[in-house]
Amino acid sequence: MGFKGWAGKVIHVDLGSGSVSVEPLDGSLAAEYLGGTGFAARWLYDGVGPETDPLGPDNLLIFAVGALTGTAFPQASRHVIAAKSPLTDIYGESHAAGHWGAELKFAGYDAIVFRGRSPRPVYLWVEDGSIELRDASDLWGRTTYETEAMIREEAGDPFVKVASIGQAGENLVRFAGIFNDHGRAAARSGIGAVMGSKRLKAVAVRGHGSVELADPDRFMELFFDWRERMLSHPFTPDRVKYGTNNLVELMQAIGRLPAYNHREGVFDEWEKVSGERITREYLVAPKADFACLQRCGRFVRVPSGKYAMVGKGPEYEGLDALGPNVGNSDVEALIYANHLCNQYGMDVISAGGVIAWAMESWERGLLTAEDTGGLELRWGDGDLIVQLVEMIAFRKGFGDLLAEGVYRASKKIGRGTEKYAMHVKKMEIAAQDGRAQKSMGLAHATSNRGADHLYAFPVLDEVGFEKEIVERFGERYLPEMTDRLNPKYKGIMVKELEDFCAVVEAVGVCKYGTVIPPVFYYGDLADALTAATGVTYDEARLRLIGERIVNLQRLFNVREGITRRDDTLPERFTREPMPRGPSRGQVVELDQMLDEYYGHRGWDPETGIPTRERLEALGLGREAEELAAAGYPVK
Amino acid sequence: MAEQRVLLVSPELCTGCRLCELACSFQHFREFAPSRSRITVVRKEEEGLDIPVVCLQCEDAPCVAACPTGALWKEDESGLVAYDFDRCIGCKVCITACPFGGIGWDPKSGSVIKCDWCGGDPQCARICPTGAIKWVRAEEADATKRDRVARRFEEVSRLITAARGGV
Repeated sequence: MGFKGWAGKVIHVDLGSGSVSVEPLDGSLAAEYLGGTGFAARWLYDGVGPETDPLGPDNLLIFAVGALTGTAFPQASRHVIAAKSPLTDIYGESHAAGHWGAELKFAGYDAIVFRGRSPRPVYLWVEDGSIELRDASDLWGRTTYETEAMIREEAGDPFVKVASIGQAGENLVRFAGIFNDHGRAAARSGIGAVMGSKRLKAVAVRGHGSVELADPDRFMELFFDWRERMLSHPFTPDRVKYGTNNLVELMQAIGRLPAYNHREGVFDEWEKVSGERITREYLVAPKADFACLQRCGRFVRVPSGKYAMVGKGPEYEGLDALGPNVGNSDVEALIYANHLCNQYGMDVISAGGVIAWAMESWERGLLTAEDTGGLELRWGDGDLIVQLVEMIAFRKGFGDLLAEGVYRASKKIGRGTEKYAMHVKKMEIAAQDGRAQKSMGLAHATSNRGADHLYAFPVLDEVGFEKEIVERFGERYLPEMTDRLNPKYKGIMVKELEDFCAVVEAVGVCKYGTVIPPVFYYGDLADALTAATGVTYDEARLRLIGERIVNLQRLFNVREGITRRDDTLPERFTREPMPRGPSRGQVVELDQMLDEYYGHRGWDPETGIPTRERLEALGLGREAEELAAAGYPVK
Repeated sequence: MAEQRVLLVSPELCTGCRLCELACSFQHFREFAPSRSRITVVRKEEEGLDIPVVCLQCEDAPCVAACPTGALWKEDESGLVAYDFDRCIGCKVCITACPFGGIGWDPKSGSVIKCDWCGGDPQCARICPTGAIKWVRAEEADATKRDRVARRFEEVSRLITAARGGV
């Protein structure tokens, strides 16, 4: 049977032996896990375990697209890259938009699974039926931008899409990412370091094939309705104008703009790094990824001065991580530091997070010039921030310590600096603060890849989407669920959104349009999947799949020793009341929310381990038995 | 004479989403396949440019002049450079002759692919979310572009007025 929607083939590459094979996609896997994060969860659970060193040859590196990637579904531009994380030592994955994922589908594949370690630098070339490992010795040591350009030039084809690592990945920076389409980043979880450890510089893809649909006419009829709803949403004009950058203004207004290593939730100089300013002074053009109706991408230009540049500009996360959260209002240094992160290939969130930790530790006298090699780590020193980004990417001097991520760096230094390491499960916390939005605090704590805003992306209460809350959850949780400062009903909210986001990331669609603004929901994805694949989906079936993926990822982490004790937050969020601003006096009532969350999850509230009963209901009975047999306390 | 229309492409409005490529391949082959699309967005990442490239329906079309079998001809009434698969021998001389890359070859169907305005309702213009591709009356084409340039001056003049302390 030929697949519709899915391409139907998976590439397997053993980098140790250099062998490449193509296997048919397992039809029941496709139907029950959808693609993307679903495939990644299944293959990582089956192929990688506690004995696997994240930077060793046994780790897998999985690139996967979803059932809708390559179709016209709005914002169906996403691919996932997953591996056991060298940053968190648990389940790791990251997602990027761009055109790479769609190109893989047009080349005829749903996924590429790498294992082993190459004896020398290589890159994978995929053009339709032709797949080969090519020498990458000329590319090693190059930035992600240079790598893309050189591969295209060598191929003589400007339409080749490249996902690559920069120097950060080569140097095994624990938060290195994998970048495509000039600054599109799959950068969380340190998957770029996994790629570097395998001596795999890039994956270049060119496809001349097609995505076929089971019911093309139905799909296109639906499409024009989706398009209309997306473009007419009241949030869309601002998204077009500012991308995600006007969140600086919006988060300042609710006291949720992390500043000074998450000590505060407002930043006095916010206007200097605002979306309004970036748009007015630096934006050249907004850019869209594949099939995107919104265009969050910012192509910017700093015309002159020492930070002159042209290229991808920061989005909200980068703006905060290298701006307010390190006390920085020098916007040109910020844009430049972000630009360097894209080129060297590393995560702006973790880079900013580890710099923020160092600056606070310096301020408190816990880090000294002896540790830093003479550098004075003063808040907001733009030149220093740019310098530190360079030092991290090349592991130079003090940068070598920072390249380990905030958890390892603070452990190594000790002296109480651990208290200022803002991470969950070793992953640096992004530009949110649970004290100003309780659901986000819970989401950071429970996310299967460590502190992560996107895993559940609970933003419905952030700016008061009451109508959508009623549509998605009913009226029974009003008014508490809409109140960002009220911990009540945030357990059910985060649980439901984690499941939904897992589906979104499995099918290859962006969270912009599904979560914020909340335009498309289960029903739309079910309609799209049914028309695309010919397999019948409805809301109930998709909910089950989402919950299955979240639980399977959790089981991966349970095997790594994760329990309720790890579903936590730094004390700053649970014990230090927000010092000022609109959320002044707030802390995260984490235990209360966690109890509610585990209740809805059907997980043991003592251990945080999924119960056998729930796992069986999700079709994970075999996994429950395996874990119980291996001595894990599965009830 | 029926009114003539043109496919007005404005690269400065293009964001590079490539929905036009999907709409085009869908219209002609009922599948999503950018390589089978008659319109292609060329992306220049270093410059931040996205440029939709499509047949311009030349008045004095080199492809028509080059075609040895009369498979390509200019329709007087609509202005379309039309193509007839049955008369085409697949020599691809039209691809060589076109100075703009407006004509392509589709190995899957073994035929020349060039824009046919979807029979009068171009799907690329219908799907484009930014107005970078528009289906306009021929005499409006220049007016649309001129109006957009004028709007920029409007903005500049507002800034100047504000700088002088005016409203």
